[in-house]
Amino acid sequence: MAKQAKSTKSSGGDKFTRWLVIGMVTLVVASGAIFSIVGEKTKANESFAILNDFKVGPTLVSTVDEANGSGITFNNGAAKTVDIWEDPQCPVCKTFEQANGEFIDELVRTKKANVVYHVVSFLGNESVAAANAAYCAADEGRYLDFHKALYLVQPVLENSGFFSTENLIKIGSYAGLKSQSFSDCVTKGSKLDKVKAAYESMSKYNVQGTPTVFFNGKKWERQNNAFLPSEFAAAFEAS
Amino acid sequence: MINLHKKYQPFITLICRLLLGGVLLVAGGLKAFKPSESAGAVAAYKILPTNLAHLIGYALPWLEIAIGILLIIGLSIRFAAVIGIGVMVIFIAAIISVWARGILIDCGCFGGGGEVDPSKASEAHRAYLIEILRDLGLALSGAYLYFFPYGRLSIEKPIKNNEEQ
Repeated sequence: MAKQAKSTKSSGGDKFTRWLVIGMVTLVVASGAIFSIVGEKTKANESFAILNDFKVGPTLVSTVDEANGSGITFNNGAAKTVDIWEDPQCPVCKTFEQANGEFIDELVRTKKANVVYHVVSFLGNESVAAANAAYCAADEGRYLDFHKALYLVQPVLENSGFFSTENLIKIGSYAGLKSQSFSDCVTKGSKLDKVKAAYESMSKYNVQGTPTVFFNGKKWERQNNAFLPSEFAAAFEAS
Repeated sequence: MINLHKKYQPFITLICRLLLGGVLLVAGGLKAFKPSESAGAVAAYKILPTNLAHLIGYALPWLEIAIGILLIIGLSIRFAAVIGIGVMVIFIAAIISVWARGILIDCGCFGGGGEVDPSKASEAHRAYLIEILRDLGLALSGAYLYFFPYGRLSIEKPIKNNEEQ
């Protein structure tokens, strides 16, 4: 019976058929993969449509506070402090931003509070890339615009290739970031040391997930499962 | 024993073909139409650079479909079996790798995939073991097909019947 293994002569075993089969398989795989990639690209481009009427706000200066988990800090020295921990790929952070983003932006603009954004990246490579881009945006005074745009186009699936260098630069261009310095910073990953520091500070502040909010250093325990703007505002006033 | 095997070999070959081919076809088919999930699942293994991982995530389902069809219709069985074994060995190595590095993911074998909740660690570890055993069984089916490619309901047949058939 081992003879069967050695008999290579079969209707499907001659050289021509073999190459034909290899050729067909290659063709199927290549055309299938191209079909998948093109489909995904089209879908990605469609998702940018939501940014067409994105309104860019004023530039806001921020600093990176290395003593406070390398957070992106606005209005250092204001009486009240709000620490916000978020991951660019976290879907609940998107919900949080959409519910309370306006209120927080207001706190930043009117300098009512010292707002610190801790952009962490525990959801994988594309969180790292997006967090790096967020730090780049902060350098140009456009962190708030960039993170808002990021959440608007946030894909449902994590690490699916959407937060690529190319797409992050594109998201930036909608958020008023058209400079060469921004795209260089995204391409080179210039802020990766800060991204790493922010991620590593999670355990120090006992942050186990995102979004997590601290008012004056005290963790916000929300009563309601939905992020009610009224509840957030009340918690801020009470702090 | 040998005679018994000779008698049933064409049927065992058929079963192995349908088993390996069927699993590959179903697994590939489920993934091929959810390409971004597939790409994300390969990336979650954190073995390859992200771009390469995505490319493989897009191409692999189609390779599985192609090989699966070849095995089921019984064409170029040996060639298909070798690729099938290769794919299974890579899967096993990848699962062992994530297990050893303590990464918790859903294998993405039949679509879906990605990282899982850390609280489900023990379930994930048991799932890894089952996945390894399953892929090992499929790889063994492939190995059997390499040695005995000719069986029932197959397009490909030996031209020259050797003395034992």
